[in-house]
Amino acid sequence: MQPNQPSRIVLLVGALITFVAIVGYFVGLQSPMNPFEKTARVQGLSRVVGATRSLEAMEAGSIPATDYSQMRMAVRATLASSKLAQNDSPFSTASIPVYPTTEQAALELAVDNKIPLAEKRFALAMREKNRAFNGAPPTVPHPIAETSAESCVACHSQGMQTATLRIPKMSHAYLSNCTQCHVGTASPDMQNAMVRANSFVGLAAPEGGPRAFASAPPQIPHSTWMRVDCLSCHGQASYRGLQTTHPWRQNCQQCHTASSTLEQTVLESNAKFMDPMQVDSL
Amino acid sequence: MALPQPAQSQEKSLSNAERRNFLKSSAMAAATAVAAGTSNWSLPVIQGSEIADDVKWNKAPCRFCGTGCHVQVGVQDGKVVAVAGDRNAEVNKGLLCVKGYHVGSALYGEDRLKTPLLRHGDKYVAITWDEAIGIIADRIAAAPNQFAFYGSGQWTIPEGYAALKFMKGGLGNNHIDPNARLCMASAVTGFLATYGVDEPAGCYDDLDKCDVLIMWGNNPAEMHPVLFSRVVDRRSRGEKVLLIDIGTRRTRTTTHCNHYLEMKGHGDLAIANGIAHLLLAKKTYSHEFVSSFCNFKAPDDANPNLHGKSISFDEYAEQLKPYTPEYVEELSGVPADQIRLLADLFGNPELKITSLWCMGMNQHTRGTAINSLVHGIHLLSGHFGRPGDAPTSLTGQPSACGTVREVGTLSHTLPGGRLVATPEHRQQTEDIWKLPAGRINPVPGFHTVQMWESFCTPKAEGGVIDTIWVQVTNPGQTLPNLNKLFNKKEGMKEKFLIVSDVYPTATTRLADLILPSAMWVEKNGMFGNSERRTQQWFKMVEPPGEARDDCWQTIAVAHRLFEKGFEGMKDRDGRFLFEVLDQEGKPVPIWNWKNYYDTNVDQHLFEEYRLFSRLKHKDLAPYTEYVKARGLRWPVVQVNGQWTETRHRFAGGLDPYVSNGKRIQFYHSSTKDDRAQIWFHPWIPPAEVPDADYPFMLCTGRVLEHWHSGSMTRRIPELSRAMPTAYVEMNAADAADAGIRNGNQVIVESRRGSMEIQAWIEGRGKPPKGTVFIPFFDETKMVNNLTLDAVDPFSKQPDYKKSAVRIRKV
Repeated sequence: MQPNQPSRIVLLVGALITFVAIVGYFVGLQSPMNPFEKTARVQGLSRVVGATRSLEAMEAGSIPATDYSQMRMAVRATLASSKLAQNDSPFSTASIPVYPTTEQAALELAVDNKIPLAEKRFALAMREKNRAFNGAPPTVPHPIAETSAESCVACHSQGMQTATLRIPKMSHAYLSNCTQCHVGTASPDMQNAMVRANSFVGLAAPEGGPRAFASAPPQIPHSTWMRVDCLSCHGQASYRGLQTTHPWRQNCQQCHTASSTLEQTVLESNAKFMDPMQVDSL
Repeated sequence: MALPQPAQSQEKSLSNAERRNFLKSSAMAAATAVAAGTSNWSLPVIQGSEIADDVKWNKAPCRFCGTGCHVQVGVQDGKVVAVAGDRNAEVNKGLLCVKGYHVGSALYGEDRLKTPLLRHGDKYVAITWDEAIGIIADRIAAAPNQFAFYGSGQWTIPEGYAALKFMKGGLGNNHIDPNARLCMASAVTGFLATYGVDEPAGCYDDLDKCDVLIMWGNNPAEMHPVLFSRVVDRRSRGEKVLLIDIGTRRTRTTTHCNHYLEMKGHGDLAIANGIAHLLLAKKTYSHEFVSSFCNFKAPDDANPNLHGKSISFDEYAEQLKPYTPEYVEELSGVPADQIRLLADLFGNPELKITSLWCMGMNQHTRGTAINSLVHGIHLLSGHFGRPGDAPTSLTGQPSACGTVREVGTLSHTLPGGRLVATPEHRQQTEDIWKLPAGRINPVPGFHTVQMWESFCTPKAEGGVIDTIWVQVTNPGQTLPNLNKLFNKKEGMKEKFLIVSDVYPTATTRLADLILPSAMWVEKNGMFGNSERRTQQWFKMVEPPGEARDDCWQTIAVAHRLFEKGFEGMKDRDGRFLFEVLDQEGKPVPIWNWKNYYDTNVDQHLFEEYRLFSRLKHKDLAPYTEYVKARGLRWPVVQVNGQWTETRHRFAGGLDPYVSNGKRIQFYHSSTKDDRAQIWFHPWIPPAEVPDADYPFMLCTGRVLEHWHSGSMTRRIPELSRAMPTAYVEMNAADAADAGIRNGNQVIVESRRGSMEIQAWIEGRGKPPKGTVFIPFFDETKMVNNLTLDAVDPFSKQPDYKKSAVRIRKV
């Protein structure tokens, strides 16, 4: 009997377990928090206790957190669906691939890196899912701690993007009473209720700001109040349709001007001009 | 800050293409909403590429709470499409809460009332406005003294003023009271007993300056979130502010606080006395402030009124002797060390201390007492009269101060702090209203609880009130002990309930006549917020269907009575009580709806009402000044030709009515010596305490997402989704003992009624063992079937916070 034979099997089994664990970890990272691919996962989970509420939540565009009792099934369902769903989606969340190497190239690329209108509309449609109108604070599409603001900041202070999950960065300075403006969906412990019909039609998000001429930099078509960090929506972690075509530029308002009306500055109403010159005709 | 406003007119010509596009998108939006049913939580958004260019923006105060944030309302094609925080508003500085951001959707719930409806058995039939006005006028003419008007702190100032003049000037009937009786009446009596005049001396600026903020039974993180952010955001800028939460349950506010003092109901009385006891014992009270500016008072049991009896400093100290920290701990449940902590803070003259409170201290059977006691410890310690040092009560409704407390729409008051019982006040009012002498009835009318009790009592048994007209409120959900004060109306044929509202509510359920009202920016309006700030806005969109302004409804009924020859609707010259003259001196027929907006009725009513504001140093500026401003805090006086507001009252250099050279002057002192009254009130247990049969103490209240009875906010998908329905909050240990788990349906019952509701454990708030909490916003979960109708002896305000209940699993 060779003393080191069992240890080789142990090593092999150990390596196998490690391999499976690593694969599982990364597969798990992708799942199940993608609001777009709901069908497969929803069907797979429909028999699980409590999943009915999650189903409703997902249809509402919210991302339910997976609890431990559902974790195994969620992963299995995602394994079958995640690859397919990614390939299926015509709209990747990947960022602008081309970076310029010279200043001349930078100028050209900013114009050339065009965002297809369909991508832009897709991005705006996604934003509408949790906003009553353009300018409304987004509602929270996932369950939240009822009393802790710190838990929001943990993810949203920086923001990030994985292949399937997008965590927007706070677009404004740190404000500690998050739920004052951003309300969540109902707690999973609460019985869901019908929502009354409402015919409010919200202001649409513009598809772009007005330009003085075709290749002029567009003006900012929204207020910059609470939207101090442009990259929160227009940066690499955003939908491609909203991303800047020239991420290497840092000083956004150098070229893109804000609207004094939307900014509610008092300057506009106080603006005066000199009286016109009086010229007597001969 | 005076800012020119854009023109109010929203006239706009649409190109055909634009119109088509808009109609199409509206139709699509409607279709989408129908097809998606309940699963589509998000609201439709106008399609197309138009950007904000054709959106007209104008200012308005928010429709909801008493904070008084200003919003910018975006209107496109005659509809509100967006809302933004007003960056030029001092109150909110551009920020709003989630209710404010979605206030525009409150106009567009699909079941808006659009036509007058008259009850026929179990059904309603649509009738014309002409018929509806006739029905009301006939009932009033038949028995003017059996008619009552039940109004609201959501009435605009002109609406409340018109209703008050209609009742007290027109009918000689004082049975008019507002829902604010249920909300801030004890704050009023607290201010009157202490300073001799109502409303806070401080303002929101104190929140920017204070070193310590003490919240007495208050949860501003949810109820006044914009004000709360104004304080906690100071920490983000590196400033130090100590937050102390004195409460009966852990809330979202608690998580931001440095100290949480968990007390039993009515523990606040003991805590305030405990602080005063220690200030005297340690001699850390302000001897200078007390000897210069204060007297001492105690309740006069033989003759209970707001004047009480004068006592000496020694008698005051003697009464406080028993309230040692240890005894206070026994009464309130708050550890003695935390009482010492509070006393040490108040004893430190270097600190600036602001106290905030709202329903916790007001909905209290000793509400007048606890309001007076909190003012008292601020005065005793000298924490008064410097920016940042202020006892400040908050209001829950947008115009509880403006319309109720200043206009005086209460059963015993007249505008400008006048009282119906005082002959001189009646005469002043009759002069301004040009009434024949003796028109105003000297006997105060029924307060809210009496009014509804009388309405729900058969005439044969002495229930004299046979008709109530309700405007801008929902008593069928918000009165306490509903089974006694409201539900008994069902089937009482001799009683007639008229309700003006914008949506079907728990109140319209029993209404005999329902009138569709215009709301918020569908009409001109003015509100007055918690910090004495009077605000104005213009009509921006048309109301739906046949809906019309509440103020027009009142004036139309008044004119119908006038046409019938009803003497009360004539002034002493025989002219209509609400006559408005145009520039040529001809009457404008404002009682005809088509002519109502030929003139600005709000402006006419406000200019008349403004005359009263001078009588008690609450001076208001002309209407046109409010058009330019984001509200102005009274007294607004002219300084070098400029209308100038007042931030801090009674303080030299800050209040224009304080005589030169005086540091502090309480110029409305009830003892006529420029001094405020420091009261002693003993601790008294709540009106109902848990026992073996009903072992839990029930507290009711609100949540961030919903405002009052939820008739507006539950029709806003974003808010309804976040908080779909009411729940009972339980302590985890109590729930475990009863075998109740999260989401279980339970029966909660009191001696007055019962309800079925789901349990939420370790949820939004965390009540201590032996207590439960239920919010009142849900019309399908009527917690007010359970609450007690016991009232404060002075303010007549009920206590919604302390009812004994028992709970069992379904």
